[in-house]
Amino acid sequence: MNPSELQPLILAGALVGTVAFALFSTKVSSSLIALFYSSVILAVIFTISGDALLGLVQMATFAGAVSVLTLSVVLMTGESRLGLGIKNLGVASVLALLAFAAATFSIIIGGSGSAFPSSYADISSQVLVLLWVDRPWDLLILVMAFASAMVTISNLMSKEP
Amino acid sequence: MQLDAVVYMGAGTLLLFMGVASMALSKNLVKTIMSFQVLLFGANLALFSSGLGSTTRLTVDTFVLLSITAGAAVEAVGLAIILGVHRKYGTLDPSKVRKLKE
Repeated sequence: MNPSELQPLILAGALVGTVAFALFSTKVSSSLIALFYSSVILAVIFTISGDALLGLVQMATFAGAVSVLTLSVVLMTGESRLGLGIKNLGVASVLALLAFAAATFSIIIGGSGSAFPSSYADISSQVLVLLWVDRPWDLLILVMAFASAMVTISNLMSKEP
Repeated sequence: MQLDAVVYMGAGTLLLFMGVASMALSKNLVKTIMSFQVLLFGANLALFSSGLGSTTRLTVDTFVLLSITAGAAVEAVGLAIILGVHRKYGTLDPSKVRKLKE
């Protein structure tokens, strides 16, 4: 497999991983940070797939406004722990298995019988060069994302007087 | 179908199912809103991947843009309702709110 073909797999895996961490984390601060990073990863997916406007809107809306709104609500209500949120572990396991089966099924059906078709268009072969040289405002988005993440983390970790 | 479209479609489906399951089983209203956000991410990603490499890509991107803005608005309204519920009942557990209502 060409190393550039690994890019969507890595991004999709990172997205699913951060979302799973956000849903299963019991601490509300960890959950919020993971959800913020999943928004950023989704914006990166939109951007490197050739639609930078969608990435920008996703970043401004979810990683910006909605994250701040959720943080405000959490601070105003004083909820520090979310709980695992799962009453019945058996039902949750069955649902997770169903989700995994559906994802695998859609991958195989979408790939016309093959999970990894060879006719992969060369979208991401020079994406890093494009990202840093031809589209420098993507770099600005990433810098803004990391800066806001740092501010969020420092706010969440600071103690009230 | 391209490989990235297939992978993103699978990830979107997975996120959709995870969001629905977490929404149905959560005991905290803030977590319900977070699950709704995950569900929205999955729907947007699946919709976006359906347009990759096709001739209807601009239409699909327009619908994703509409979905992002509508989803953010719905989420903001949901957070406002949560705040109102917490002020009135003092809890964010839906089952306790249901008992207090009776």
